Amino acid sequence: MPPYQSQLGEGEGIAEELAESQRSISIAEFFEKNKHMLGFDSEARALVTAVKEAVDNALDACEEAGIKPNILIQIDEVGDYYRLVVEDNGPGITKAQIPKIFGKLLYGSRFHKREQNRGQQGIGISAAVLYSQLTSGKPAKITSRTQEGADAHYYELIVDTDENEPEISVDETTTWDRNHGTRIEVEMEGNMRARQTLHDYMQYTAVVNPHAKFTFDEPGLDDPLVFERVEGADLPDETEEIRPHPHGVELGTLLKMLESTDSYSISGFLQGEFTRVGQKTAESVIDGFRDRHVGREMTWEPPKSHEDADVRTAVQAAVANKGKQATAAFADEVASRVGDFDRIAHAQLADVIDDVAGIVEDEHDTTFGSTVREKARDAAWRQILGGEADEDVRESLRADLYGVVDDATSTRKDDAAIEGLADRLAAKFASADDHRHRLTPDELSDYVARSADATEEYDDATFGETARENVREAVWSRMLTVPDDPPNVSSLADDRDGASDLLTAMRETDIISPPTDCLAPITAELVEEGLRKEFDAEFYAAETRDASVHGGDPFIVEAGIAYGGELESESGADVLRFANRVPLVYQRGACATTDVVKNINWRNYGLDQPGGTGIPTDAVVIMVHVASTNVPFTSESKDAVANVPEIESEIELAIREAARDLKSFLNKRRSMQQRREKRNKLATILPEMAEKLTEVTDREPLVIDDSIARIMNNVLVEREVEDGTVRIVVENNSDTNADVEMTDIVTAEPQDTNGAQVVEMDGEWFVKWSETVGSGEELTLEYSVDGEADFDLSVEGVADELLTVNA
Amino acid sequence: MSPDSSLNEEEAREQLLDLAADFYDQFAEGDVPRMQIPTRTKSNIEYDEDEDVWVYGDRNSTRSAKTVSGAQKLLKATYTIDFLAQQLDQDRSSTLRELYYLSESWDLDEAQFNTQDESNNLIEDLEIVSEVKREDFHMRPEESGAKVMGPLLLREQTRRGDREIHCQEDVGQGGYQIPNNPDTIEFLDNDAEFVLCVETGGMRDRLVENGFDDDYDCIVVHLGGQPARATRRLTKRLHDELDLPVVVFTDGDPWSYRIFGSVAYGSIKSAHLSEYLATPEAKFVGIRPEDIVEYDLPTDPLSDSDVNALESELEDPRFQTDFWEEQIELQLDIEKKSEQQALASHGLDFVTDTYLPERLDEMGVV
Repeated sequence: MPPYQSQLGEGEGIAEELAESQRSISIAEFFEKNKHMLGFDSEARALVTAVKEAVDNALDACEEAGIKPNILIQIDEVGDYYRLVVEDNGPGITKAQIPKIFGKLLYGSRFHKREQNRGQQGIGISAAVLYSQLTSGKPAKITSRTQEGADAHYYELIVDTDENEPEISVDETTTWDRNHGTRIEVEMEGNMRARQTLHDYMQYTAVVNPHAKFTFDEPGLDDPLVFERVEGADLPDETEEIRPHPHGVELGTLLKMLESTDSYSISGFLQGEFTRVGQKTAESVIDGFRDRHVGREMTWEPPKSHEDADVRTAVQAAVANKGKQATAAFADEVASRVGDFDRIAHAQLADVIDDVAGIVEDEHDTTFGSTVREKARDAAWRQILGGEADEDVRESLRADLYGVVDDATSTRKDDAAIEGLADRLAAKFASADDHRHRLTPDELSDYVARSADATEEYDDATFGETARENVREAVWSRMLTVPDDPPNVSSLADDRDGASDLLTAMRETDIISPPTDCLAPITAELVEEGLRKEFDAEFYAAETRDASVHGGDPFIVEAGIAYGGELESESGADVLRFANRVPLVYQRGACATTDVVKNINWRNYGLDQPGGTGIPTDAVVIMVHVASTNVPFTSESKDAVANVPEIESEIELAIREAARDLKSFLNKRRSMQQRREKRNKLATILPEMAEKLTEVTDREPLVIDDSIARIMNNVLVEREVEDGTVRIVVENNSDTNADVEMTDIVTAEPQDTNGAQVVEMDGEWFVKWSETVGSGEELTLEYSVDGEADFDLSVEGVADELLTVNA
Repeated sequence: MSPDSSLNEEEAREQLLDLAADFYDQFAEGDVPRMQIPTRTKSNIEYDEDEDVWVYGDRNSTRSAKTVSGAQKLLKATYTIDFLAQQLDQDRSSTLRELYYLSESWDLDEAQFNTQDESNNLIEDLEIVSEVKREDFHMRPEESGAKVMGPLLLREQTRRGDREIHCQEDVGQGGYQIPNNPDTIEFLDNDAEFVLCVETGGMRDRLVENGFDDDYDCIVVHLGGQPARATRRLTKRLHDELDLPVVVFTDGDPWSYRIFGSVAYGSIKSAHLSEYLATPEAKFVGIRPEDIVEYDLPTDPLSDSDVNALESELEDPRFQTDFWEEQIELQLDIEKKSEQQALASHGLDFVTDTYLPERLDEMGVV
């Protein structure tokens, strides 16, 4: 859980802006400028935001201390102002904490914090305190009693708006009826025009916090609204803070991380600061980084024996004064090893030279200094490239590249065009400043682009984007990552381009998804309980999806549906949106959740949806909760979830799963309805028919229950009493098994009950059976009574519509 | 079914009550009341070799109280049985239309008929299931039977006692009115050579005016469109009992061929009574499509529904004979139809002086 209250979450843009602004302008001025982002842009909204911040704060405080929250929210009119009081039963706070928590705007930094927390949704209680002070001039009044504290303390808090320094102006001991907790009282300009929003906010908060009790009072209410907690609902699991995932950071964040880390090497930095990065992943990232930052080296085919170029001779010639034998041995070994390569890069050649030099040094007791090695290397490299003459080099590289380009382009390409491109690429390599032929991806793209342009211009050929990309890929795949050490962290921290290369490498490397145990969903069960508690509906369903990942952040989507009953249908479906257990009450139309709800074909699920799109028009509540270490919002005011495809898809799946339950409920209800109608209809027709038949045939009156049960495919329960023997016959005319529980209340003591459970109570005997009767089967239960008795049979386990009792 | 024998009131009543008793027993056994009747469609009629008529096949449909609409039908059937039993008891009669309106007086809404078709169909159902003819229920159709003119002496039982009637001498120009139940007629004497059934009233009047019945000793029976059951029954009796050949003279269009079909083969709706109503030996005089060509008659073009009707007749088992296939295909080919009155284009006497004598000679009737 976050440290007591939330601060500005991930909104890095504001943070930076704030940090700068704070130096130049007073906090009051800054607040005035930015109040739309802080949620205080209108008087009506200010009150909602203040309640929201205070409630979030109170919930966090309680949960952090493992206390089931019991929160009181009270709004009163006081002259021109509104007074907001929020009380919790949390652990209370010490005097030292008070200024930090309530007084200092943007206290602390949650910059690297990856955790599911409410704080992401707001700027914190301090903004409400500041707003109150700025509009009413009154201090915030705070009462607190810690769990250990014998007395409660009363403080008044004023913020010095020039210095952004909170000051405690009053500090007294007081009495308070709560054993522990915190009470904050602020007075502010405001109005109750957003009363409905406020009520919605409270109700929705109660839905997603089934473990909390809320009492809410405002001037328009006769009695306070009480939102009880769900019986047995536990506190949400504590969430773990996780390190950021390499796929989920931005450049600014990365630069700051580079600056503040204790690691020296990039590898250490990656492994230490990010989740899911070990030795191997770090190496992959660093390879990618090196490729981008310093480039790769081109490999070339070493000369073949029939070619003029000759590594051995050239090396031999390049080595002077090392003795004939040693020189020969050196040249032979180098040539032989080079010859073993299919393709060789400059760095590999350097390795070969160093390796062979070492061996020859040992065997021939001579020294191959760096100058000699360099000369030998340059001579050998020249031969690998094609020979002494520049034309030979260009020709050799051209031949090599021809194969590469030919492989990479479609067979339909004109041979002359491929020749032309290969030749121009060869020319660029041959004349490169860096004779090691080291290129970054950008430089390589440039080579290919320029060569292709020229070929198009002079050879009348076409090289489209795809062909160029293929050639680039083909050449790049033949280039080798260089062995140079990557720059260290401190130099990278000052190198924006370098950091950007690192970020690209991080994003392009496959890395397993972040862990998801850092999330604490409400759980489907409690979502349903929450809805059940707050909405008097006929049907409830809820679904919690498994965790997924967007960017580098894990998230979980939960959906719940309440249908029918006392819900009002005038305005169509109510869509309740939540992010990290906080209701989103503004900007409904901009929210991904709303979009998803509108795009679902609700007719498939038995709801009315004119035109097959949009919000369904039935009396239904659809709630969606997105929990994430970083819920992406459309804007800083954090009112609407952004349209991230991964999240939208999970929202849709969650809603659809809950909606499937709704559908089967509605289908069942419809079929029960039809059954009822049919039964009602038959219940008038058939008795009339029977009466008429009796009249026409002049026979005994008919009993037609059996026929009706059969017609309705019902379970028919009948009693026969004969000479003290009671028979209860259960006839199952339906096409499924029936699990029936029957209780017969008898006024005389039953005997020979054949295993039925018998309980006597006040002179009545309860005979109980629990039986399963298969489809189309008949079961007879028998017992006997002495003499006269009255019976009263009740049958459970079969829906009323499916049951005919004649006993 | 023994349709040839007329039942007295008591027998008819018993059979109806047996049906009610079946329902009663089904209820009493805890069973679902139901009524099984043959499916009354073209695809479920088949040729009865023994009787030479078309009767219902094996396909049945069941009216069962398992569904609301089935239960409602059975309820109406029960009410109707009750009504018919009372009617028979009191020796009254009523028309099909009266039954429809009478149901309005039943206190239970669900038992009332919604359309006349519904009550007509129910009477047919009861006819089939109880094996009692509608006439024996004392149910009459609304329209009266057609008229007969010719050298025939008969005796009819009327409410005012038995009457002897000669169908030329004792009747006006309109002829003798066939009663609803022609089984109340007894044939006494006749000088007739054959029976000529005529579709339209206009043509019947023309034949009577020209004295065709006198000149050729024929009994002219007016069909009046699709013939009523009484007309068909009388025709059959004239054929069976007096051994007179029967010929049918209609317009030359598909609907008229069906009129012939119902006289000769029985109609689909009353296939359960085919043995009682149909005269399989009846022959078709015309107008044949062939006549349209041969006599160069004035014509109308075939409408789309005419073409459909002709094509459907080609698939009708009753019309699958060489004669009809040839004629129908010819008509589809020439795409024309003619009325009986078209013969007047050759003069008012053409039909009696030329056309009929030629055709009847050809057919071996005169």
